[in-house]
Amino acid sequence: MKVKFDNVTKRFGNRAVVDRLSLAIDEGEFVVLLGPSGCGKTTTLRMLAGLEDVTAGDILIGDVRVNEVPPQHRDIAMVFQSYALYPHMTVAENIAYPLRVRKITKDEIRRRVRRVAEMLEIQSYLSNRPRELSGGERQRVALARAIVREPRVYLMDEPLSNLDARLRVQMRGELKRLQHDLGTTTVYVTHDQAEAMTLAHRVAVLSSGQLQQFDTPMNIYHRPANRFVAEFVGTPGMNFIEGRVDHRTGTFSGRGVVLSLNDPQLQRLKGRERATLGIRSEHVQVAAAERDGWLRAVVYVTELMGNETLCFLQLGDEKIIARASADFRAEMETSVWTRLDMDKADFFDAESGEALR
Amino acid sequence: MTAQTRQAKLSNQNGASSMRQSRRARLVIYITLILAVVAALAPVYWMLTISLKSEVDQFASPPRWLLFSPTLAHYAEAFVSRSFGQYLATSATVAVLSTICSVTLGTFAAYGLARFRMPAKLNRRLSLWILSTRMFPPIVSAVPLFMMMRDLRLLNTMAALVIVYTAFNLPFVVWMMRGFFQELPRELEEAAMVDGDSRLGALFRIILPLVVPGLAATAVFCLIMSWNEFLLALVLTQTDAAMTLPVGIAGRVTQYEIKWGVMSAAGVVAMLPILIFAMAVQRYLVRGLSLGAVKG
Amino acid sequence: MSAQPSPTSQKKPTRWRWREPSLAYVLIAPTVAVLLALSVYPLIYAVKVAFQSGTGESTHWTLEHFTRLLSDGFFLAALGHTLLYAAAALTFEFLLGLGLALLVDRPLRGRGLFRALLLVPMMLPPVVVGVVWRLMLNPDFGAINGTLRSVGFNTDMLTWTASPKLAMLSVIAVDVWQWTPFIFLVLLAGLQAMPQEPYEAARLDGSSAWQTFRYITLPLLKPAMLIALLLRTMDLLRVFDQIFILTEGGPGFATETVSLYIYRAAFRFFDFGYAAAMSFVLLIITNLISAGYIRLLQRQEAA
Repeated sequence: MKVKFDNVTKRFGNRAVVDRLSLAIDEGEFVVLLGPSGCGKTTTLRMLAGLEDVTAGDILIGDVRVNEVPPQHRDIAMVFQSYALYPHMTVAENIAYPLRVRKITKDEIRRRVRRVAEMLEIQSYLSNRPRELSGGERQRVALARAIVREPRVYLMDEPLSNLDARLRVQMRGELKRLQHDLGTTTVYVTHDQAEAMTLAHRVAVLSSGQLQQFDTPMNIYHRPANRFVAEFVGTPGMNFIEGRVDHRTGTFSGRGVVLSLNDPQLQRLKGRERATLGIRSEHVQVAAAERDGWLRAVVYVTELMGNETLCFLQLGDEKIIARASADFRAEMETSVWTRLDMDKADFFDAESGEALR
Repeated sequence: MTAQTRQAKLSNQNGASSMRQSRRARLVIYITLILAVVAALAPVYWMLTISLKSEVDQFASPPRWLLFSPTLAHYAEAFVSRSFGQYLATSATVAVLSTICSVTLGTFAAYGLARFRMPAKLNRRLSLWILSTRMFPPIVSAVPLFMMMRDLRLLNTMAALVIVYTAFNLPFVVWMMRGFFQELPRELEEAAMVDGDSRLGALFRIILPLVVPGLAATAVFCLIMSWNEFLLALVLTQTDAAMTLPVGIAGRVTQYEIKWGVMSAAGVVAMLPILIFAMAVQRYLVRGLSLGAVKG
Repeated sequence: MSAQPSPTSQKKPTRWRWREPSLAYVLIAPTVAVLLALSVYPLIYAVKVAFQSGTGESTHWTLEHFTRLLSDGFFLAALGHTLLYAAAALTFEFLLGLGLALLVDRPLRGRGLFRALLLVPMMLPPVVVGVVWRLMLNPDFGAINGTLRSVGFNTDMLTWTASPKLAMLSVIAVDVWQWTPFIFLVLLAGLQAMPQEPYEAARLDGSSAWQTFRYITLPLLKPAMLIALLLRTMDLLRVFDQIFILTEGGPGFATETVSLYIYRAAFRFFDFGYAAAMSFVLLIITNLISAGYIRLLQRQEAA
């Protein structure tokens, strides 16, 4: 089922928590609402669920406007961050509950609960109570309860954030698989950009209630619409150098560092004196010995990740991060040589942060 | 103080002398507590013995705490030949009926206050007002209630007591249940609504089962308060028709010839149900008595 | 997986406006109605009666009941008795209750049992408390005098509730007996809810038992203390039941508190107007004192 947000605004008092949000989600799509705390993503999800009123704008499920429709009648299912399992019911009763209130026959209920339990591999604890289960097990039960109804849309509010790191990675894969098998439209909220990148067909990045970019994960990563998106997505974050453009010499000067620009870049920066350069750490190379054309930098600290080494460097007065191979070593305060792959650099407006393409 | 001396001081405290000190201290504490318990229970025990003693033993001097031949004559007299049996039945009926009413009405109101997003100021004012009606000295409403009931021709009826006790207990029920409801995460009802249940359905199927212990404790408190209540019963019932046990006992006490054995028997019976109930809700006692301010 | 809309979404028309607050009002209304009828209406009724005088044709508005209060010896005496009773009982209950709570607040064997047994006095119906202590304090065969006599004391002067001098002491003692457990319980709960860290830090800093008590325990216990004191004060100011049974306000009027005097005015002399006026004064006094406590509490919570 398609979902559409049409200029949706939510105000609490005078504060616009969601500001003129417009999104068109296709049938069967897995869309992630990504952003830092307070950006309005959870509020947006709750408006879609019917748990919050919409101040202005329209929300459509299928092609039907649902602003006035109560949650019970929207035919959506939601997985809450805290799972919201009914403590006094067994797992089986929890899963059966949505069917029970719809007055479905007992046999049919039993059949569907069994099917969903097999799908999520939770048959072994169907007669336990939620408090006897681990976090991961409870999460599956919450999922089962959402799936058993075969709704039109799934809503998920940071369902993985209460799990430990390893379980989170495992569940990510399973969720993706599950959604693929079921083929139902899913709207998923998280602040974890790794989850967004791995799970989504498309990601909607939000900040302070406003949509920053709505695109596939690859596009979000490689062609961020503005500085906020570029900074938020990717670990470690993108390196930024604010500086002046000199069209005469064709260079970009930060604090203590001068980089040369090629013609397409100068074209993009036409008419500007200032801009912000952005370059990801995988495009910053580092070497122990001097090389031709490379710049000297001082090592602030290195982090040995095991599969690679992250180098925090001081280039002139700028701080940047470079990725090196796993066996690269350098002592703190020593000099190394670095090269920024300017072909892969992005430029952003110095004030607004908009990407300059 | 350097690290070393602090270390030395700590290790000294683990020396043998401190072990002896703490054992002595423990003994003192135990003795004090036992004395306190004796002080608390002795008078009650005394009443129990009076109810079981023959008249001769009652007036014995020095007082016989332990050695006497028990008799059930006083109990028989109180409940069979005198009307205490009727008073007992009245107390029980009034307590149960008023508890059912106040718990039902109060729980719904508490849910409304706890859950629904009303203008916050209205919610607080309403809650405080409900609480303030509990703060009245009962005598303040006793006089007008007497006149009201007289005009309604409800004096000396059980109905009057049930109505008045319901109103008397309502603020307490609302206050307690509101606290219990607020402890449940809002997401439970939200999940139930998204799952397709109506607001009321969610209340009955999800929320109420989860507050059953609190609900039971609140109900027991109401029973206790209705059972123990004296002033309003005194004012509103003067004939045997609707007299509750406390009033019945008091009436006899203020007469000339006081049959202490009978009085004590009535007293013992009056207090037994309460003690049993109170032990049952011990867990919630502090919360109930402090109106939820202190979570015991 | 079909894409058909499920049956339920077609059942209800989407025009139905789901307004949360209205259901709330439906749930609250019956309670408010009952309270209005039985708490507010009597109050209004009482206002009418307190400010009026005369019967039938000659009813008129007047302040005479209130002015009478100022010169009524009985009322002023009752007020004095009430305040004395409240202050004395509160002090003893508080000190004893605090002491007991501090004692019990440590891993002790049988602590639950002690707690349960110490509860008994305050759960008793006040009438029963009255009976119990009339038995205990009876000058002739009561346990107190009996025991005193058996160790050699002369109890001729100890007529307790019949003695003008000892009656007030007796009723205060009874109240202390009955309600110390309440303070004990509330303070114990407060103690047991206190965080461990400040204590551990204090021990490491070398604080003595007294210092720990004074600078850590007491301040952290303040909210619980205020609640306990507030609730007890309210109950003490309006005390009626047990004094009625023990002394009926006597001997003479030595232990007559305000509540008892109001009762006497209303139901012995049928002077409802006067009784209502006195009730108001009592209500105002009680409200003022409780407002004071609540302000203290709020200031405490803000800190």
